[in-house]
Amino acid sequence: MDNLLEVNNLHVSFDTYGGEVKAVRGVDFSVKKGETLAIVGESGSGKSVTTKALMGLIPSPPGRIKEGEILFEGKDLTKMKDKELSKIRGKDIAMIFQDPMTSLNPTMKVGNQIMEGLIKHQKKSKSEAKKRALELLELVGIANAEQRLKQYPHQFSGGMRQRVVIAIALACNPKLLLADEPTTALDVTIQAQILEVMKDIQKEMESGIVFITHDLGVVANVADRVAVMYAGKIVEIGKVDDIFYNPKHPYTWGLLGSMPSLDSTDDELYAIPGSPPDLMHPPKGDAFAPRSDFAMKIDFEQEPPMFKVSEDHYAATWLLHENAPAVQPPESVQTRMKGMTRESAEGDKV
Amino acid sequence: MVRYILERLVYMLITLLLIATLTFFLMKLLPGTPLSAADKLSEEQQAIVLEKYGLNDPLPVQYFNYITGLFQGDLGLSFQFDNREVTTILLERMGPSMTLGAQSLILGTIIGVLLGLLAAIYHNGVVDYGSTFIAVIGKSIPSFVFAGILQFYLGVRWGLFPVALWEGWEYTILPTLALAIFPIAIAARYMRTEMLEVLGSDFITTARAKGVNKFGVVFKHGLRNALIPIITIMGPLAVSLMTGTLVIENIFSVPGIGEQFVKSINTNDYPIIMGTTLFFSFLFILIILIIDLLYGLIDPRIRLTEGD
Repeated sequence: MDNLLEVNNLHVSFDTYGGEVKAVRGVDFSVKKGETLAIVGESGSGKSVTTKALMGLIPSPPGRIKEGEILFEGKDLTKMKDKELSKIRGKDIAMIFQDPMTSLNPTMKVGNQIMEGLIKHQKKSKSEAKKRALELLELVGIANAEQRLKQYPHQFSGGMRQRVVIAIALACNPKLLLADEPTTALDVTIQAQILEVMKDIQKEMESGIVFITHDLGVVANVADRVAVMYAGKIVEIGKVDDIFYNPKHPYTWGLLGSMPSLDSTDDELYAIPGSPPDLMHPPKGDAFAPRSDFAMKIDFEQEPPMFKVSEDHYAATWLLHENAPAVQPPESVQTRMKGMTRESAEGDKV
Repeated sequence: MVRYILERLVYMLITLLLIATLTFFLMKLLPGTPLSAADKLSEEQQAIVLEKYGLNDPLPVQYFNYITGLFQGDLGLSFQFDNREVTTILLERMGPSMTLGAQSLILGTIIGVLLGLLAAIYHNGVVDYGSTFIAVIGKSIPSFVFAGILQFYLGVRWGLFPVALWEGWEYTILPTLALAIFPIAIAARYMRTEMLEVLGSDFITTARAKGVNKFGVVFKHGLRNALIPIITIMGPLAVSLMTGTLVIENIFSVPGIGEQFVKSINTNDYPIIMGTTLFFSFLFILIILIIDLLYGLIDPRIRLTEGD
């Protein structure tokens, strides 16, 4: 099957007074119809910048797409003018934003904010658009939709606002949905509801989803495939099972190891030591090497290529080189992996 | 809503009463007497004149008489202008001042807001620098300098508009332009800053992600959110423009209130001072009320709920 979205060698930089910040440094991935790709990584790893770049929403200046292509249904979005892009934005590609408290216009009625895209892209009349807006509000689980349409965002709770943000994104049945931490600002019960809504809609509309998060629990719940980003690069990508049960990159080990667990007996929560590199001067070699317990000499000299682990599973670490010593993930990650296998097995029984 | 406005009007009356009281006693502290040539009058003559205007009464009595008159809509007689009624003088003089003030305010705000918007849209471009330049010039050079330049070029050199006097609408053009420079500068500066800030907010990104274009984002989503601070500063500016400016009125020989007010203070013309102060205060309080109502109109978060 053809890819809905294909990103090849994407580089995004920000020109600051101090110099060029290379926020995204050569990212490749693809998304198929009906598939969910999760992008995980710590703050500053380039997740959000990557999705914003897909939409052409990087503020320029100072940001710019330096290199690479973004093929959406075969057309390169990086070559399009803003005017052409605005015909795709909201219609074929839509975005769900992170913070429901600030993502809605405080001085515009919620109904009008949902209807705006419909009127623009589908040339609907006001009453048709209103009908669709009602449907959407009901779809995302907002009661009293008729009355709610006439209200302003400040009359909604945080969870309700996030539903509105999702309704706006879904308005024109987008083929590709970019969700930038859509549940981070919500409490856990609302989080679960929102994820359900998104899954239902994906099933119904067959849309592809790029799901950005740093919550691995959410990843396990929603993703088909996972890309792990570090310092502006994808360091490991694979099916969700590959990443959780057979991770290869030390950074992925670190991420999994720092996930709190209910049956952990440790007093302290594990954290990856150190902090991410300054992307104004990205390090030579493997960017994660200075923080890694498994770094070898070559990690500080040469950047590792993507090694193929299995059909869909790739990781950029020299540990996968045939000359590298065989290394096992740290103990905590191994117990974690076993624990998860057990949990999911139990889950299957129920 | 109606109840809210009525409530505000009651507060307004109380405020005005307080202002009247304060002004009355402060004014009595002014040095000198209302008599312009006291030294040429005998003591007897002085006493007769003071008696006639009730100025020999004890202060509390004078105050009581004044406030009683105020409630009957009587602002008293002017001392210096042949005993004409203060109300008549005020009405006569306020006309030109308020015409100039309103015209320059409307013109200045519209041009200023547009300049500011363009500057924000074409941020860091030629338009932005041009608009900033105009704003700096407008804010730093006093209006009488512009008045002179306008008179010389538009009035004398090219003969487009009358240079001075007050004999028809075309006579308002030059003073209006001279007065409008300041609101243009203020509105442009604030609008640019506010709009840039609003354009950086998350909901603007949401709108962009919906496919709204650059202008749609500015006018449909940005403008309303950027207007609140503009309205806040435009209120007091409106009052100061409409209550007349001594300098501009003098330069263009406009029979406005500004000149009148200063003259009445110099001559201790108590009724005029009181009348003008009260009128200015009334205007100011009224504009504050209008601004508060405008806030609610623009920003639903400030709007009163039905219960209030």
